[in-house]
Amino acid sequence: MISIRNVSKWYGTFQVLNGCSTEVAKGEVVVVCGPSGSGKSTLIKCVNALEPFQKGEITVDGVSVGDPKTNLPKLRARVGMVFQHFELFPHMTVTQNLTLGQVKALGRSQDEARDKGLKLLDRVGLIDQKDKYPAQLSGGQQQRVAIARALSMDPVAMLFDEPTSALDPEMINEVLDVMVGLAKEGMTMMVVTHEMGFARKVAHRVIFMDGGRIVEDAKTDAFFGTPRSERAQQFLSKILHH
Amino acid sequence: MFEGYDFEVIRTSLPYLFRDGMTFTVTLTLIAMSGGIVFGTLLALMRLSAFRILSMLAGGYVNLMRSVPLLLVIFWFFFLVPYIGAWLVGAERPIPVGAFWSAAITFTMFEAAYYCEIMRAGIQSIPRGQVWSGYALGLNYWQTMAQVVLPQAFRNMLPVLLTQTIILFQDTSLVYVISATDFLGAAAKVANRDYRLVEMYTFVAAVYFIISYSLSVLVKRLQDRIAIVR
Repeated sequence: MISIRNVSKWYGTFQVLNGCSTEVAKGEVVVVCGPSGSGKSTLIKCVNALEPFQKGEITVDGVSVGDPKTNLPKLRARVGMVFQHFELFPHMTVTQNLTLGQVKALGRSQDEARDKGLKLLDRVGLIDQKDKYPAQLSGGQQQRVAIARALSMDPVAMLFDEPTSALDPEMINEVLDVMVGLAKEGMTMMVVTHEMGFARKVAHRVIFMDGGRIVEDAKTDAFFGTPRSERAQQFLSKILHH
Repeated sequence: MFEGYDFEVIRTSLPYLFRDGMTFTVTLTLIAMSGGIVFGTLLALMRLSAFRILSMLAGGYVNLMRSVPLLLVIFWFFFLVPYIGAWLVGAERPIPVGAFWSAAITFTMFEAAYYCEIMRAGIQSIPRGQVWSGYALGLNYWQTMAQVVLPQAFRNMLPVLLTQTIILFQDTSLVYVISATDFLGAAAKVANRDYRLVEMYTFVAAVYFIISYSLSVLVKRLQDRIAIVR
């Protein structure tokens, strides 16, 4: 579904990604972790071309992301993305947030988009918030709306960029529960997160990044059992033993 | 202390001052404001564009307009607009546009440079993630701007845009150099005809003060309201 081959990226002379390669198969859940500044958020943003990259190739469902001829809005409409800071549109109600992309990018009618959006809003347990503005919701609720908004586009894959990092601890679980549900349904997911419990529970593979490189790319059990690289061992010992 | 003054002249000229003069001033302000904001927003988008040529063109225009006295611009446009009009439609003779439309075009073009800088600051105040979020939903550049960025930028900048409009309202009085009859122009005509300069100019100043000050109080209130919602 998502194929990343030899991707490198520079900000000026500073190299943020260094020859990254990996695959995410259909229905697979891949967790990307690593210390801050390791390039994991940048990598996931390259997948739907929010960040350009200078070398290598990324394809999503057979479409090349780096190809200048690719219709990027059309490609992005098929890939759901959830951001660290939710990025709901503050000047629109929850319902308007849910319908905007469907109407403008997919050409659905208002009614159709509304039905679809509200169904997903119900699924994340927030149907009674449909007429509120994002600022009236808690962080966890906003993130669940953001997930519903991404799902309303019927994506072939979902990208999560640290979806729980900006949340209060007590709100993390409500968001993770929704994500676990998605994973169990067989959604293709690439998730940048520090939530190792989530990774252990639903990830098929874990990718560990450091200094712009993919240092480790292993099956979940193998990763948590005996990570091969010393750097990943250090990282795990730091975030798992408190 | 008011002996020797004749305030009757103000009362008798009120209909003329407001029906002719103030109508001109307000219409000119509203046209230049709407035109200036639309044109200024386009300039702001150009200035922030990744295409160097677009951003340089817009930057040059804005810097030029902001470096030349408004009075000069009014003069230049008054003489140039008929020729530009003729050139645009391919006519052989300059097209007479009249003082009002000449002024409307001048103020729109001039104010656009200032509105551009306000809108540019407004657009830059919107977090990058909002743009990403629009793109990630499959919106293209124009949809993201129109649906996500500009509504928020406009809302954040509304007090500043209105403050600029109050300045514009006062600046329109400069059209006296092209003999247009705005509020000040109308008062000047009466003042000279009846030789009542002190009365008329005092009255004009009072009216400008009352309108501008009331508007700025309203803007302040609006600012507080926006601050609460945010």
